[in-house]
Amino acid sequence: MQELEARRANPELKELVVEASRALARLDAGRLEELVLSCQALNRGLGTLNAEGRAELARQAEEAAADMAVFARVLDATRANRNVMNRLRELRAVRLEYSER
Amino acid sequence: MGTINSALSVTTGALDADQEALNVVANNVANANTTGYTEETPDWQENAPIEVGGISIGDGVTETGTTSQRDRVLEERLDQQQQLASASSTRLTALNNMQALFTPDSGSSGATAGDIGSDITSFFDSFSSLESDPTNNALREQVLSSASTLAGDISGAASSLNSQSAALDQEASGVVGQVNSLTSAIAQLNLEIQSTSPDGDAGTLEDQRQQDLSQLSQLIGINQVTTENNGLSITTTSGQLLVSEGQSTQLTTGAVNGVMDFFLGGTDITADLASGGGQLGGYLTARDVDIPGALSSLDQLAYGISTSVNAQNNAGTDLDGVTGTPANPLDIFNEPAQAAGSAAAMSVVMTNPNQIAAASAGNGTGDNSNAVTMANLASRLIVNGQTPINSYSNFVSTLGATFTEVQTENTAQTASVTQLQTQNNALSSVNLNDEAAAMSTLENSYQAASQVFTLLNSIMASALNLGEETAVT
Repeated sequence: MQELEARRANPELKELVVEASRALARLDAGRLEELVLSCQALNRGLGTLNAEGRAELARQAEEAAADMAVFARVLDATRANRNVMNRLRELRAVRLEYSER
Repeated sequence: MGTINSALSVTTGALDADQEALNVVANNVANANTTGYTEETPDWQENAPIEVGGISIGDGVTETGTTSQRDRVLEERLDQQQQLASASSTRLTALNNMQALFTPDSGSSGATAGDIGSDITSFFDSFSSLESDPTNNALREQVLSSASTLAGDISGAASSLNSQSAALDQEASGVVGQVNSLTSAIAQLNLEIQSTSPDGDAGTLEDQRQQDLSQLSQLIGINQVTTENNGLSITTTSGQLLVSEGQSTQLTTGAVNGVMDFFLGGTDITADLASGGGQLGGYLTARDVDIPGALSSLDQLAYGISTSVNAQNNAGTDLDGVTGTPANPLDIFNEPAQAAGSAAAMSVVMTNPNQIAAASAGNGTGDNSNAVTMANLASRLIVNGQTPINSYSNFVSTLGATFTEVQTENTAQTASVTQLQTQNNALSSVNLNDEAAAMSTLENSYQAASQVFTLLNSIMASALNLGEETAVT
């Protein structure tokens, strides 16, 4: 039980990356904002790691590499979708502006 | 009186228009759970004003019809992403079956393709054992037994791959019937839409056409071209015409070199369909690229081992003092004429263990030097410039890497489809605020995700550098 609590408080890098991909897939902006804060905190804590902590983080980074590639691809797809939606919005705005009344 | 009548007429007209609008809303509510239904909004038209005593008085509005809240560009983008997701999903299933074939056996005694790596090691190790006692019959039997296991597992793997290929062939052929039925339906809908709504949205007919397009996109890669009077033409992604307004061209199949090829109007478009997307694209890529690639690697392995081991055995002298000749070769394996097909045909042809040439020619039958050379073949580059075990390891690694790559693509494409469906639903909403909110969610999610990605990237780069420093320390 304690291990589960500790895991919830300090998720592995892999879990963060997988969660980010999932949140982005369902466009959960709120969850992504939370993940930004988690990552910022993790980033700040890097300087205070001891040798054991550094080795552990390196292991986690290696394990998360494949999921990071997935996250990169989901981000790419989202960028393409955002571009399509922005273009559609522009077209619809032009249509509304010049449509017959 | 004229004025009162006119006023009453405006009121009656307004009530009629309201009633029509309520009907539209009722229709939206009734179809809220209908798959593929797009919400409709009433279209209003201002009535011509009436002149009373030189004064122009408004005459209200009339409901002239309905417009579905759809956007063809977005729907087309969604269809395209579905084609990609469907293709990668189908290919992933096929790659998963291939990978399962080469997963090492977890201890059962049955011969499996997953044991090929250990089979190679055992086979060459059996020559190492024979070095110590080259005339020992049990050790000679062991060489033939391990050769037989290796050949059986390689030929079994080739046979299983060929079966998987045949199954994919069947699946791909099955898709054709569904494609033809959908393209016929779309052509028919085109005719109905063009005759009933040449200038506007065709409502439920348009919904039906969109649903058929969506289903077609799951099956095959297509491009959509809007034509005159609300018509639609459909081509394959490489441009062959499937539907031209009210006409559809049927896909047909025919056996070519033992596999099913796909034709459109007499032209073989199999290669185009493979790269086009949809289930058919996934089946054909697995059948024509992934499985032949795996078979080719196995063929190279079987060819390299069989020809090298046979050549070395023919260079030595067997236990009866015989040296192999072209007319009477001392082959351990069935000698392949070419690499193609070597894996499926690999078998042990030697039945007499005395024929194993452990001795070098001229050194007497008790010599072991040729057995030493045969054992050393394990570390020689006899398989297309690689050692046998490295060749097999690279093959398995490449298969795993392909699987991971396709899995990554599939995850991203599926996520993209989910996002687009969310956006499409928001666009179908009558409330413009909802649409703006959906767009804002997309933008905010993208921005936040970009931040997460940048931060994670930086953390991972630092983590790996920190790891290296730790290792140096």
